[in-house]
Amino acid sequence: MMTGLGATMMRAGRRLLSSLPALFGVLVFTFLLMRVLPGDPAVFFASGPNAGKEEIEQIRKQMGLDQSVPEQLVFYLSDIGQGNLGRSMMTGQPVLKDLRERLPASLELTFTALLMALIAAVPLGVVAALRPGSLVDHGVRLFCALGVCVPTFVSGLLLIYVFYYLLGLAPDPTGRIDVFTSLPPSRTGFLSIDFLLAGDFEGWWAAFKQLILPAVSMALFVIAPLARITRASMLVSLGSDFVRTARSVGLSWRKVVVTYALRNAILPVITIAGIVFSTMLGANVLVEKVFSWPGVASYALDALLSSDYAPVQGFVLLMASLFVLVNLVVDICYGIADPRVSIG
Amino acid sequence: MLATVALLLIVNAPAQAQTRAETLRYVTGASVNTLDPNIPGSTRESFALSMSTYDRLVAFGRKQLNGKWVFDLDKITGELAESYDVSPDGLKLTFHLRKDAKFQDGSPVTAEDVKWSLDRCVTAPILGKAQLLTGSLTSADQFKVIDPLTIEVTLPKPDKLALPNLATVYPMIINSKLAKQHATADDPWATAWLKENTAGSGAYVIETFKPGEQAIIKRNEAWNRGSPDKPAFFKRVIIQSVPEPATRANLVERGDADLVVDLQASDVQSLEAKGKLKVISTPQYNSITFVSMNNQIPPFDNPNVRRAIAFALPYDDMFKAALFGRGAPLFGASWPDGKPLNGIYPFQQPVKLDLDKAREYLKAAGLPEGFSTTFSFNVGQASTAEPMAALVKESLGKIGIKVDIQKLPDAQMSTQINEKKLPFFTEGIVAWLPSTDYFYRNFYTGNQRWNYSSINNPDLAAIAQEARFEPDKAKYEEDGRKLNAMHADLMPQIMLWQPNQDAVMAPSVEGYTYEFHRQVDYRDVSRK
Repeated sequence: MMTGLGATMMRAGRRLLSSLPALFGVLVFTFLLMRVLPGDPAVFFASGPNAGKEEIEQIRKQMGLDQSVPEQLVFYLSDIGQGNLGRSMMTGQPVLKDLRERLPASLELTFTALLMALIAAVPLGVVAALRPGSLVDHGVRLFCALGVCVPTFVSGLLLIYVFYYLLGLAPDPTGRIDVFTSLPPSRTGFLSIDFLLAGDFEGWWAAFKQLILPAVSMALFVIAPLARITRASMLVSLGSDFVRTARSVGLSWRKVVVTYALRNAILPVITIAGIVFSTMLGANVLVEKVFSWPGVASYALDALLSSDYAPVQGFVLLMASLFVLVNLVVDICYGIADPRVSIG
Repeated sequence: MLATVALLLIVNAPAQAQTRAETLRYVTGASVNTLDPNIPGSTRESFALSMSTYDRLVAFGRKQLNGKWVFDLDKITGELAESYDVSPDGLKLTFHLRKDAKFQDGSPVTAEDVKWSLDRCVTAPILGKAQLLTGSLTSADQFKVIDPLTIEVTLPKPDKLALPNLATVYPMIINSKLAKQHATADDPWATAWLKENTAGSGAYVIETFKPGEQAIIKRNEAWNRGSPDKPAFFKRVIIQSVPEPATRANLVERGDADLVVDLQASDVQSLEAKGKLKVISTPQYNSITFVSMNNQIPPFDNPNVRRAIAFALPYDDMFKAALFGRGAPLFGASWPDGKPLNGIYPFQQPVKLDLDKAREYLKAAGLPEGFSTTFSFNVGQASTAEPMAALVKESLGKIGIKVDIQKLPDAQMSTQINEKKLPFFTEGIVAWLPSTDYFYRNFYTGNQRWNYSSINNPDLAAIAQEARFEPDKAKYEEDGRKLNAMHADLMPQIMLWQPNQDAVMAPSVEGYTYEFHRQVDYRDVSRK
């Protein structure tokens, strides 16, 4: 067992190393793309009521834009090598600090939403697959279609309207924590974990309440692909020989469906969940905006609109690295779900 | 240890409920990005915050305009200065500092600090430089310490805008001893340190500052520059970024936020109709929204084309569609003898929708069949500019001008304006010190970004320059009339309106004043 684990780790490490060229490519590509885009950040940021040519030149110098593009690239790469992602003009902070503060917010939201979506989608998919063509199946299909049709910001605004504005059940949708609650000492950056570590259950509840609505509006959107893939994969699995055999030898219904059919059907679900997770992390910008969630996606969008190069580049690099990591985790999960699969 | 914490929690809980009334929660779509408003790229929210954390030598008074409080450019009161004298020739301003003024670290405010701060403003590569230039304040030699409580400012010319300039955001008075400790050889004016720290004497002290999310400030109990012997009203002010305008409207309607100034016009209208909240709408009388034409790019280099456009815009429909009529219109005036009514800029122009007249002008320009062009606006203004652009396109189509609507990301739009590449677009301006000559000098002369219409008229520039130092009020007025007449005739760009600043607040909030920086001055407001 130990050697098995060791070998997996070795292979994971090799896999990580082999992704470095791809990351480097992403780095250079984003760098060039930002500079090709029309729009001069110096002009944009020099927009005080009296800012003239001099201010524009000064900002250009401050951002290093007075040098040629190849020179800028070399400086940028050497900065990255030293772990410096540059400084954001928008927030005035180092990009690394901004991302470090905002990534946990996005991750916490995305994990919660994905968990909610999985908890809802897998049983739905299984139920639909057990009775294909039945009323239940159609019901699930309708629910999924609705979830996909309604964009996240619409469902977000609707949820706010009903639960905050009309009913007053939800706390005000302004970020991760009520402004009047004091924060726990930051250990992980995940508020729900930090509050637990600090033993502050009231605070935990406050943070969790803030999390529910944005997570639900994100989950609604991704339930559909997860439920559909669960259903399809379950149908194949339920129709296969081993399930027929299991049924014929009189195994319990639970054992047939959960142990044999579902375990075999879960691989594609994991794959999709991995992809969904990566997309959610980048694409939850609308939810972050609606709920004033201080996450990385809304940060990157604001930066992009104002041509603030450093944060956009930092964000893309972060997303690319996360994508590599998520793929790795998915592959490792494969191994757990199905020992015949090994990563290499 | 645990028991103490538990006890603290119990003691704290009711206290927090009480302080809600003494806390102002202000929500905004923008955010504070620096504690020193002088840093290039600083946001308007940063300007507003610095008004509360720093003092200036002087401040603007306030006056009532149509029953609403607005800043008063003509009434300059002392802030850190107890009093000031202007020499008869207008070349020397002497400021006498308050004896009781202290910085937030407890050290007294001295003339040395004032000199260092003003020197910094005109010397360091920061935003204050360009602003103070408009008041003939350009060099450190102009500021002289007379004694620890007196400072003298010398001017090369009697500039009317020198004193008001000292009340603007940038020339804030910094604790020079503290700042100098953090200065480096590369950064002698401590710009890097002051971006993240405050060293002022202002009404509020920074409690927490999370760029892009929120800033919380608490009252400086020793501050008494607003009303004698009294600090500011609110014990704490929470300045929180809420990007979604609908959410901001919900927050203030539910009573969770106390004050917001950047709601969408449609939300303001519905909140006003419900009547539960206080809505104070002030036309932003120091800002203007334009339809601009580049006077150097054909066919807009022909004045008749510009006049044709001016008579082909559906002003009333645009005003309703873009702003729900919330603002002060700058169109539809009638000039009985064809002359300007007064010398004040901005003025209501004698233009209205008149397609026959527009066609005549097009014919006179030699373009009876019309032409094709693009009309640009930036994404950030889409909520008002998009409906407006559609109406412009429709109406100009009727006189044969084919318009393509171009929606540009903000940075791209400002770049193209700066490079003078856009033929036809909508943009806005704002002037902190709105006087007629200031507007004409900054927005109608020179090959620079703010001259949206790229007009290059030596006569206009000369009159505006002359008016700047004109001490005689009647002559100044005469210059203003001449400039306005030229504007109406040449039609370099079309003034549309001055949008309202709609401040929506809880009924208990009082004292809101429209300030020159178009944000809330937290020192103005109190709770009943």
